[in-house]
Amino acid sequence: MSVRFNTRKLTILAQDPAVRINGNLVFAQVEIPYEDLGDGPTGYRVKVVDFDGSANVLYRPFKVGGEVDGMPVDGFAVPDGLSAPQRRAWEKRLLADPTFHSQNVYAIVMRILTCFELALGRRVEWGFQGHQLHVAPHAFLEANAYYSEDDKALLFGYFDSRRAKGRVFTCLSHDIVAHETTHAVLDGIRDGFTSPSTPDQAAFHEGFADVVALLSVFSLRETVELALTDGGKVDLLPGGLRKVLKERVSREAILASFLLGIGKEFGSSLDEEGARADCLRRSVRIEPSAHLLDSPGYEEAHARGELFAAAVLRTFVAMWSRRIDGLGTFDGKHCNLDMVVEEGARAAGHLLTMVIRALDYCPPVDLTFGAYLSALLTADTEVAPDDTQYMYRSLLRETFASFGILPAPQGTDPESGCWQPFDHTSDIVYHRNHSDSMLHDKEEVFRFLWENRRTLRIDDRGYLRVCSVRPSVRQGPDGFFVRETICEYRQVAQMFGAETMSQLGIERPEGMSTRQAYTAYGGGTLVFDEYGRIKYHIEHRLDDGARQSARLEYLWRNGLHDQLSDSTSNFSELHRNRITS
Amino acid sequence: MANAPISATIFAYQVGFGDCFLLRFDYPKRRRHVLIDFGTTGLPKEVASTHLLTIAKDIREKCGGKLDAVVATHRHADHISGFATKKDGSGSGDVIRELLPDAVVQPWTEDLDLAIAARAPAQNGKQAFHAALHNMHEISAHVVRLLNSKPKLLPAKTAAQLRFIGEDNLSNASAVNNLASMGKARHYVYHGSKSGLEKILPGVKTHVLGPPTLEQSEAISRQKSRDAQEYWHFHLKNVTATPSTTGSSEPAFANDVVARGSKLPMTARWIANRIKQARGEQLLSLVRALDKQMNNTSVILLFETRTKKLLFPGDAQIENWQYALSKPKIQKLLADVDVYKVGHHGSLNATPRSMWDGFQKKGKAKAENRMTSVLSTMEGKHGNEAARTEVPRATLIRELQTHTHFHSTHMLPSQTLYQEIHIPF
Repeated sequence: MSVRFNTRKLTILAQDPAVRINGNLVFAQVEIPYEDLGDGPTGYRVKVVDFDGSANVLYRPFKVGGEVDGMPVDGFAVPDGLSAPQRRAWEKRLLADPTFHSQNVYAIVMRILTCFELALGRRVEWGFQGHQLHVAPHAFLEANAYYSEDDKALLFGYFDSRRAKGRVFTCLSHDIVAHETTHAVLDGIRDGFTSPSTPDQAAFHEGFADVVALLSVFSLRETVELALTDGGKVDLLPGGLRKVLKERVSREAILASFLLGIGKEFGSSLDEEGARADCLRRSVRIEPSAHLLDSPGYEEAHARGELFAAAVLRTFVAMWSRRIDGLGTFDGKHCNLDMVVEEGARAAGHLLTMVIRALDYCPPVDLTFGAYLSALLTADTEVAPDDTQYMYRSLLRETFASFGILPAPQGTDPESGCWQPFDHTSDIVYHRNHSDSMLHDKEEVFRFLWENRRTLRIDDRGYLRVCSVRPSVRQGPDGFFVRETICEYRQVAQMFGAETMSQLGIERPEGMSTRQAYTAYGGGTLVFDEYGRIKYHIEHRLDDGARQSARLEYLWRNGLHDQLSDSTSNFSELHRNRITS
Repeated sequence: MANAPISATIFAYQVGFGDCFLLRFDYPKRRRHVLIDFGTTGLPKEVASTHLLTIAKDIREKCGGKLDAVVATHRHADHISGFATKKDGSGSGDVIRELLPDAVVQPWTEDLDLAIAARAPAQNGKQAFHAALHNMHEISAHVVRLLNSKPKLLPAKTAAQLRFIGEDNLSNASAVNNLASMGKARHYVYHGSKSGLEKILPGVKTHVLGPPTLEQSEAISRQKSRDAQEYWHFHLKNVTATPSTTGSSEPAFANDVVARGSKLPMTARWIANRIKQARGEQLLSLVRALDKQMNNTSVILLFETRTKKLLFPGDAQIENWQYALSKPKIQKLLADVDVYKVGHHGSLNATPRSMWDGFQKKGKAKAENRMTSVLSTMEGKHGNEAARTEVPRATLIRELQTHTHFHSTHMLPSQTLYQEIHIPF
């Protein structure tokens, strides 16, 4: 009897085509959930359609390979035993094959989606009505790639680079595909984060997408090994262990490797064309300073997002370095290469899971980096209360603080930086609700909110609605599961400029007319434990004058006060600027 | 005061969608003439193709063969195309050039000696940044070429909007060069700078309210810039996409084409249509961003005489205005404006609400010292009513008609060359 596999291995380009190690492109085989794939590929979450809007043509779709002994065949796996010229020729054929491009985007999108589902312990919805995200690997002839909620799609462009003297396909850039996918997934988890708000909120979408794109590479062990050894011959220690020079795995060397440092990657081909190139990786080169957040140069979404990414990535490098130090050395000069790579994968995997889980503990509107940090610390404390072994949380706090990011000033425990647990002495009425429905039914949760609005101090002046009710199941290091229900509610308050003082308690900005229409938001996240009791009430209140004032001031100054939420145009413009600027 | 004007006259020329104002100051012993903009992107159907030349000759006649100054508020075609010359010297720009203006006033961004990363007027001329402008025009040229090829993929409405904005942003090289070499002196102005008209218009204080330099206000670009290069590189980064955005439409994988757009399998049709639409929208957002940026380089001039104030803001939009309007002193200065040249042909964003609210001389028909407004525009060229973006904006027109002595070229019979508005001091 043949073995049935529940995963499928597919080859992707793990680094951009401009990165070559020993003359070879960096491929990796990734494992994603098995599904009955249709042409495209088309699966239950992703539908790749290779339509080129500039040429108005449809390209040959990817067709799924057969199976050998119950194992799906990866038609683009790197063949064994190729000579250098043969490998070059094979790579050239692969890069010129649109069906490989389709496989590449499908596999990367599914892999990122799987990371989220694994971390959150549930299926993750897209941010639009529908189950399948369209992916167009060659959507148009333009140096742009973006997620479009309205089109239910990731659209990747291609263009002719003057410096690279050739055609550049954004769908072949692992970082770009992973980054755009993260936007789509994040929009499904928290759709309010695409609304015009504080500078932190727009920046978070960008910085978070960078973080996921970069950290997800570190679980590709062959790629990490290539980065640490530059593809050179690996010497063996007595006993057959493979070794690597200690200096090659120092903190500085990791920061400078092509995984995080200034690489020869895709983006750099645009450098001399007036472009801001290796944008994802630039963040790690930002020297920590608590003043950067307040400097005008870091108010723009991408720049500010880089500060967020810098804080997370520097935390990762510190985590990995600590683990490497714990491994010890052979003869004081060498480390065990396999263990170093393994520890990198573990540290990255752990941090990636942490940063994703934190999303459930974020307030649903007007996110700030500080609120996210509190969510991150709280989510990790829930699953792993004991932080004494690797001290990840203290490392996170230190690194974030070095970039001026401190836990939220309100609603948190000053010592741990975590959200304050809900006060169970309050008179919450549970008995009017059906506990089973409270696990999934928005109407039931709304009734709960309405009945308890006074106790929960929920302002009911604006339009109040429950946006989501989601289960969350997470496994801690002790093997036990933490089961929770995450509910988001949001309030929308529309007013005129003349009413900002009476409604929000804030002055309207200079130059704002009394008749100017303005919309303010409030909202909260309720985390219920497995018994249906409130564990946390994480709120960004409608009447929080300081937050509302900062938001209005920022939106007014940047002409965004009357802009509706439109993720299509937002990401399209942001990313065109990023890729080509 | 023998050296102060006793009245002014505005000749608002019929240029369809564009601006052309001859501002005459009457002094006891002579007249002074300032031409503010001269361009169009859409003449009324009934006028002859030589219409701009006719206007130029009329200007020559009105000013008696000598212009005292020319103001080109910004380099959009609807403001400067009339300055274009012809090789044989028969262009409307040739006529204006022969009027030997003593001064040509333009925004600081037109100073071709500025460094490419300029945030303010040059102290020392460095590398010219006109490459950036050139590239911006390239985008427009590509867009117009694309439209001329009648692409089937772009929805008709998107194509029409693209053409309108694209054509307005074409380079107008002849007009730009003519302005750059015309007259005795050229002045590149910014908020708070001298206008260059001090000696030319005695008894008139000419305030330059805009455009601000980037050092004065980051708001002009709507983006906080991280470095000095951001402002002009805003254009450059868009330009990087130029060849790809509008270039060849050959398939990227010619040997792998399985279907053309008209014969797509069912499974691809929905997303294919979305992609086609997205492409048009991307182009439009690109040229709109560019267009807005250019409008915001507009010179804003306030002519202040002993008793009257005349405001000419070109096409300045809210981002340009914001810096000036943030200053209480300027708000006060603008409160008693007597004549307002309506910004940007009466569009949505060019008459800031706070400024309009602050005009104190608005009033009912019989009010004393009632404010005068002058608009140069043409209906049906830009925006649409459903989206409330039509130019001129209906609600603004209603307010202007109700509260000011309102004059507009779009209400003139198309054969009438100009409207004359007399302003006694």
